[in-house]
Formats: sequence, C-alpha cells, structure tokens
Amino acid sequence: MAEPWLQARSLRRVYRRGPSEVRAVDGVDLDVARGEFLAIVGASGSGKSTLLNLLAGLDSPTGGSIRVAGQELTALDRRARASYRARRVGMVFQTFNLLVHHTALENVELALAFNGAPRRDRRARARAILARLGLVDRLDHWPGGLSGGEQQRVAIARALVKEPEVLFADEPTGNLDEDNSLQIAALLGEFNARGLTVLMVTHDLALARGSARRLVRMHYGRLAEAPAWEAP
Amino acid sequence: MSLRDVLGIAVGNLRRVRLRSFLTVSGVVIAIGAFVAMLSFGAGNRRLVTQQFQELGLLFTMQVTPRAESDSTRVPLDDDAVRALGELPGVELAFPLDDLPVTVRLLGRESETTAQALPRAAFTTRLYSRLAAGEAPGEDGAGDAMVTEALLDELDIGDPDSVVGARLLLEMRVASADSGFAEAFAVDPDTLRDRLARVRLDSLSDQGYRRRLVFREINEATSRFMRGFMAGRTLHDTLTVRGVLEGGHQGQRLRVGPVIVPVATALRFHGAGLPPEPMALMRAAGGGDLFATEQAREGEFPQVTLQLDPRADHAAVADTVRALGLRAFSFAEQYDEIRRAFLFFDLGLAAVGLVALITAALGIVNTLVMSITERRREIGIFISLGADTRDIRLLFLVESAVIGLVGSIFGIALGWLVTRIASGVAKAIMTRQGLPPMEVFALPLWLILMAVGIGLGVSLVAGSYPAARAAKVDPVEALRGE
Repeated sequence: MAEPWLQARSLRRVYRRGPSEVRAVDGVDLDVARGEFLAIVGASGSGKSTLLNLLAGLDSPTGGSIRVAGQELTALDRRARASYRARRVGMVFQTFNLLVHHTALENVELALAFNGAPRRDRRARARAILARLGLVDRLDHWPGGLSGGEQQRVAIARALVKEPEVLFADEPTGNLDEDNSLQIAALLGEFNARGLTVLMVTHDLALARGSARRLVRMHYGRLAEAPAWEAP
Repeated sequence: MSLRDVLGIAVGNLRRVRLRSFLTVSGVVIAIGAFVAMLSFGAGNRRLVTQQFQELGLLFTMQVTPRAESDSTRVPLDDDAVRALGELPGVELAFPLDDLPVTVRLLGRESETTAQALPRAAFTTRLYSRLAAGEAPGEDGAGDAMVTEALLDELDIGDPDSVVGARLLLEMRVASADSGFAEAFAVDPDTLRDRLARVRLDSLSDQGYRRRLVFREINEATSRFMRGFMAGRTLHDTLTVRGVLEGGHQGQRLRVGPVIVPVATALRFHGAGLPPEPMALMRAAGGGDLFATEQAREGEFPQVTLQLDPRADHAAVADTVRALGLRAFSFAEQYDEIRRAFLFFDLGLAAVGLVALITAALGIVNTLVMSITERRREIGIFISLGADTRDIRLLFLVESAVIGLVGSIFGIALGWLVTRIASGVAKAIMTRQGLPPMEVFALPLWLILMAVGIGLGVSLVAGSYPAARAAKVDPVEALRGE
C-alpha cells in the first residue's frame, strides 16, 4: 500500500503550565491521503486546533513524527518549515485573521509575497481568486467593511491563491451564521473536488458530516481509534 | 519575501501611525541635526587652518633659529649657515629673516612699523608671491620695497595700485656708545657753572664729602650717557614700492613684515649701530665691545626660512638641521599636531551629539516595542503565511532603519540650516569687531555620509532589541487573538 500523503505518528504536544503538564496532543497517529477531505471533530480543548497547527508547521511537536509526501516535517529547519507554510500549506482561521489595515486585494497579495511569486503576477492572481470567490466588487474594501462571510472568503482566497497542496481550516465557520457556514462548507468541498486536500477542525458535527468525506473524533488529545464517520 | 516587500510593509506600518512615527523621527532629526552642526563647526575650523597652511605654502616651510646663547654647542646662524642649509637635500631655498623697527612714510602718511629683509629669491615662494598689486622685485631690485595690505590699511590707503611705483621713505633710529660718551662728556658752560656752584669748597677736606661728590658726578655722567645713547641718530633710505602683498593682517600669523626691504638695506641699517634700547647696550657690554654693532659683532640672523621640496621627508630635513646645531621648527609637524588637536575636539563634539542620538534611540525602542504589542496578531498572520523569524526580525529592523534614514536626511538638513544661521551670526560679529568674515562651518561629503551612517547604525542597534522580541512572538498564541 502506498504511503499516505500526510502521516503523523505518536504525535505529542505537551505544554508546561508551571509545575503541571497539559497534554494537548497525546500520541496521535493519523494518515491523510492526497485529495482527501478530513474533518476532525471534538469538544473545545480536545486538542484539535493544536493538532492542526502541528500539521501546518506553525507549532513544533514535543515528540513523534509528521511526514508530508515522504519528507519528515519535524526534521526541517526553521527556514524550510517557513517555506513549507509559504508554498505547500494554506490556512483558514475561525477569526479570519485578515490584516485590518490592508484591503481585501492586498491581504490576498500578501500570501504571494511570502510565497515568492513574481511581483508582476501577484495582483492578477489575487484578483482572479477573489473574483472566483464572488468578491470582485470587494477588492478595495477593508476587512472592517466586509461581512463575516465575505471576510472568511477573503481568508480562503488568501489561503488558496498560492495553490497549496493542503488547506488547514480551523473552525472556518465558527464565527458565521448558518447561511454563510453552508456557503463556506460548499466552497471547501468544491476545491476539494478539484484535488485539494482539506483538513478541517470543527466542533460542528453536522457541518463536518455535510462536507467532509472522512471524520475523526478527538478527545483529550487522542484520536478515536476507529474512524468516527466516513462518507459512503 | 524580498527586501522590497519588507520595505513596503515597513513604510506602510509607519505611515499608519503617523503621529508616533513623526515624533520618533523628530527625535532622530534633532539628534542628527545637533551632531552635524557640531561636527560641521569642527570641520569648518579644520578647513580654515588647512586652507591657510596650504595657501601660504607653510606645509613646505621650515624655520631655523639658533640655539640659546647659554648652549655651548650653539652654532651661529650666519651667511655660512644659510648657505649650508640651502644645500641640504630636500631644501629648495634658504633665506634669512630679519626684522627692523622703522618709521615708514608713504604717500604723505606715516607709520611706525617693522621692516623685514628678504632676498629676491624668497619671492618665488608661495608665502611671498601672493600679490594684491604690482610685481615682485626685479633682478636689480636693490632699491625696491614691497608692502602688505595690512600696512596700507594702517596708513588708510584703500587702493593697492595707488602705491605701486611710489617713493617709500624708511627711517630707523640707531644708537651707539659714541653718542652716549659724547653726551656724557659734553661740557655746557651754564651747566658747569651750576655744578661748580653746588660744590662746597670748605668741605673738600672731608673724605666722605669728596666720595659723595664723586658718586654724584658718576651718576649724572651715566644718566647723560644713557640719554645720549638712547637719542642715537636717524638713518634714512628711500625705496620704490614695487608691489603689494596680500594679507599681513594682525592675527593671521603670517611671517610677513608690513614692509619688505632688500637685504642690503637691512645690512646697512644694522651696521650703523645698536637699537636704541638698554638691553642692546647690555648685550654689547656683555660681548666686551661697547662700540660694536649687532651685525658687526655676529653677522648672524635671528631666523632662516627653508622652502622644502614637497616630496622631501620633512622629518629627515628637520633632523639634519638639528644635527647641524640649530633649532628647526616644521610647520608640517605643527600642522599634524593641530590636526590631532582637532581630532580630540571633534570627538568631544561628537560625544555631545551622541548623547542626543542615544535619547533618540530610546525613542525608537519605545515606538517599536509598543508596535509589537499592537501587532502581535499581524506577526502571527505573517508566520502562518510563511514568514520566518528572520523575516519578522528584518521587518522591524527595516522599520527602524527607515526611521533612522529619514531622520538622518532631515537631520542633515536641520544641521545645515543651524550652521547657516550660526555662520551668519558669527560673520556679523567678526565684521563688527573689524575682523575679516570667515566661514567657520563646513559640511563636507564625509560628514553627510557619516551622519547617515551613524543615524542608520544607531537606529539599527536601537531596533535590534524590539526586532528580537518580535521574532520571539508565538504565532499560535498571536493567532488565537483573544
């Protein structure tokens, strides 16, 4: 059997809070195939966001390994991990995390600046992805002037403009109403259908079931042994 | 991320907090302005000194004087010595300097001043070739004189050309033992009658009275001798003004006498007798010959000036002169010492400027540390998008550098403005005090580059601490955002 595109083994992340330890991720084994849409569900504080941050290269594990396309992520140095985030990974957050002093277009362009894309291509590519997400008339708007759904779409555009191999979405609908949540979920499904690997963390089981093809549950830093749900 | 991208983000961030950035940059502007103004003063003075040394050719000039009279190894600075000095390797010309106290009459005006004897060859040196009018003495310049602009100022003659070709009457009073003795032994019948009338004939048998009488007569004879000696006599010479030399004003430290006369004239004046001064008489008495004149006694010059080959090793020439038993004073050595003194002066001024810069640097640290607190989420976003800690550090360093660069540029402009105002005030004061107005400030390219370099350097050092702190921001914590 071929090696999964993303593979975590015995992954641990322990935080020290004074004399005590918090095992946010405690021995997680996870395989993700290329093009998969995996939802990680669990209660608040179960460690799912920490797991996502570890897989995205935003945080460093205390132990275990993460292999991405056969390459050991934990063995990469600081710059190589930054490059991994810049070129292969897209991230979407619950609170959108847009730069409030930059327009929608500038926020998206910024991802390409870190990605190393030629300066002359950046604006056109940013415009194209925003247009594709239905934001063509919001290009010069500040994030504060956009609705929650529009802000999250700008965030998705920023994550996808660099054409990453995987999208890590951390509670992408957590701050949205139902309609916008469905729109975002549909959008992620659409990109996944075109080959993008998506790992989504959510506490919304219905949303997870409605959009992901596989679902795992996280509880006190560990994954449920059997897949919680898999699309037929 | 390219440096251009980082620069764009940095400038954008600074523009967003305009007031804070303006105040921080203002601190740098004031500090750099003070730094530039102070060093500009040092640079201006150094330039003035260098200019004077170069214009007068002093860097290639050495002055030779005899050792102290009490020195047993003393060698006379006579014609032979001048000849020997002129033949030393590296010496282009050796000429003696000799000052004479004279009274000058020119165009109906009169001044008591100093005449300086110079050979014609001396007018080929830079010091004596800066002409305001006329020309240097010619081949047969035995009757030629040169005057300086300073003398014309003293005589209240405005146009230098007006004196070229004019007759210059030179007078010098000389004294000699002859005139003293003539006065001492002169017998005036009226005075003699008075003196005889004062003699008490009935007391002549008293030895004490006779002794007092002899002492009184000797004292009076000495007084008459000194009166006769000091009165001396007046020598005259009439010369033609051939040219006017630039400068010569008091305070310019020029070795140019107000009037320059041929060596032959000086020798004739010297040979005529001693200067009418008690000290000259004492020296002559000490030499054992009261009837000698200064020149006749020694045939010696008080000073010889050497014009050196610019390529020569001046220190080696000075050593050779000293080995001949003479004293050597090198302007080049003095210039080096002045430059050393200026270096310490500049360092002192720079230290004051640096205190202001340190204050400005603390302003930069404060601004950037505040900025980190406000921009934690932004830092987290950058890292999630692929920024490395190095990029974050670079971003804050670039912001700091932009503050330093902009502050330096405007600081230099401020410093320049301050020096222009100070220069205007200084010139006005100089003019009011009758001094020629001089530019005491300079803003050379090295000072501009140094100001930019120091402004940038200090801001980068100041920015390094906030930059290091920014690079340590935990992106996970920052993105959580509560």
